[in-house]
Amino acid sequence: MQGATLSRWTMAYFAAACLMLLAGQGLMVAGYGYPAADIAAPETLVLVHVLAIGWLSLLMAGALLQFVPVLVARPLSAAPLAAPALALLLAGLGFLIAGFVALSGATDLPLFFMPLGGAFLGLGFGFVAIILAATLFAARPLPLPACFVATGVVALLGAILLGAAFTLVLSGVSGNPFLARLVAGGVELHAVLGLGGWLSVTAAGVSYRLLSMFLLSPETERPTSRAVWWVVSLAIGLVVAAVATVLLAVPGKDVLFVAALLLTLAAGVLYSGDVRQIYRARRRRQAELNIRASFPAFAALLLSIVFVNIPIVRTGEGVAAITYLFVFGWLTGLGLAQLYKIVAFLTWLEAYGPVLGRGPVPRVQDLVDERQAAVWFVLYYGAVAAATLALFWGHAAFFRAMVLLQTVATLVLMREFVRARRLSAVPAATRAPAGFVRPHLFCPPSASRR
Amino acid sequence: MPDVSTQTPPRELDVRPILKSGGEPFQAIMAAVQALEPGQGLRLLATFHPVPLLQFLANRGFDHVSREIGDGDWEVLFTPQGAESPVEISYDADSPEAWPDPGLHLDLTDLDPPEPMVRILAAAERLGPGEVLFALLSREPLFLFPELVARGLQWVGNFDEAGATYRILVRAGRAKG
Repeated sequence: MQGATLSRWTMAYFAAACLMLLAGQGLMVAGYGYPAADIAAPETLVLVHVLAIGWLSLLMAGALLQFVPVLVARPLSAAPLAAPALALLLAGLGFLIAGFVALSGATDLPLFFMPLGGAFLGLGFGFVAIILAATLFAARPLPLPACFVATGVVALLGAILLGAAFTLVLSGVSGNPFLARLVAGGVELHAVLGLGGWLSVTAAGVSYRLLSMFLLSPETERPTSRAVWWVVSLAIGLVVAAVATVLLAVPGKDVLFVAALLLTLAAGVLYSGDVRQIYRARRRRQAELNIRASFPAFAALLLSIVFVNIPIVRTGEGVAAITYLFVFGWLTGLGLAQLYKIVAFLTWLEAYGPVLGRGPVPRVQDLVDERQAAVWFVLYYGAVAAATLALFWGHAAFFRAMVLLQTVATLVLMREFVRARRLSAVPAATRAPAGFVRPHLFCPPSASRR
Repeated sequence: MPDVSTQTPPRELDVRPILKSGGEPFQAIMAAVQALEPGQGLRLLATFHPVPLLQFLANRGFDHVSREIGDGDWEVLFTPQGAESPVEISYDADSPEAWPDPGLHLDLTDLDPPEPMVRILAAAERLGPGEVLFALLSREPLFLFPELVARGLQWVGNFDEAGATYRILVRAGRAKG
């Protein structure tokens, strides 16, 4: 089969991811983890991993299962691994969280849950990496957006290996001095590999293709885009080298880390320029909501990269505010904005694909209500900006109030996704033409037709 | 020359009437080049040897063969350099070079996705057994391909030499029995 078909498990990944986003925001509203607890406290670890693995990584994995075939114009390899990968990731996250809760002393669960979670997550992400790597390998030579995904997968494996090593030490399973050094000096490297290398590099790469697709811009490979890839790949290489210096207790970690951050700044500036060019070269006059709602995310990306390069901000409490802006302004903002389009499009294709051309069917935009959703995107980004400032100035109560507003906005947007899946916004007259397939909310289609 | 590029008969364009009436044939030539099917060549008839055009189309991926055909007129055969834009063929398509000329031409380059997909499927529904349609799109219709195959439609397609327009031929299966 040539071309791209619907990925069977993508909606299940998205559904799980959305629930985790709500859970993570709910914890913050309830005052769990930072800023009430220390930035390195087990409670904060719970919060961070619910968001980084549960929300962002599941979202990214689900999106890549659908869009890597679009990037390389060939079907997914090893696609049957997608379902067990999701099960392993969810189980692994559950064990990891249980382990962190045990570490916090709130319950007397065994600490062994931590490395057990690490192992499950390693397997789950390993499966995802196998699917992506096998698909990319079969599609060489790779178009540029797919090169970003390849770099992202390497960073994912680095983040997972580091994280798994941490669980061995924190649970007391291993007293290996090399691993102990990693825990003492490698936490920010783990975070940068995960949030930057895996989630951001991959998101940026896929965005090159999706932005020109949605805006009808020419898909030319710009030298600046290629430079972005080289620079971020080099930055990830430096972070990996920094991990080695920590492991071997040789000096140089800080220099490597600062150099990687500076490279990221250069990449961020080039990337912003590329996004601007793609937007200017568009043939679609009016950009749709998913594009307009991505602009604040690009701004948040650039802002957080600039601030993280200011030493006094990075080393103090300011790092929490930057991370918040990065996770919710950039990654989550972009994720919600693109989900808004992707869910509607995939649902449209699943429901009406079999009857296209055989009679009138609704348009993709009939599945959503852009005007209503636009208001909630504005509220969402407003709340993120206010919550970031609240963290920066240390107003815990105001922070929680803003996260509550943010949670309400995400809840309403998720209701929109559910309405798209249920075809609720489609006028009843055209909703169910003969032969159409009613999509399940998040389970895969019952059987492939014909 | 290898591949299917020489197997689709070239489109013919005679610009001698335009030239003789003092007109400028460039627009007509570019329109003809844009409308070429995947791998198709162009046979151009002119009142002189169009040297600037040869270079122009070479830059867009066309080889050429010229010959004088009498009365000072020239015939130039432009053929696409196949290596630049590989032709993709659905696995169930049997010998596309033997397909009949398309009875329907669709220019869908200005439509927002997924409208081109809807239009092609709608047009394909109306094809008689063995009939062929030709369509131009602004990007590769990756989600269309499986849908065509699921409906028993064969296809062959590739990007034009500039990589800006995707060209696809879709053929309804033969009548059974």
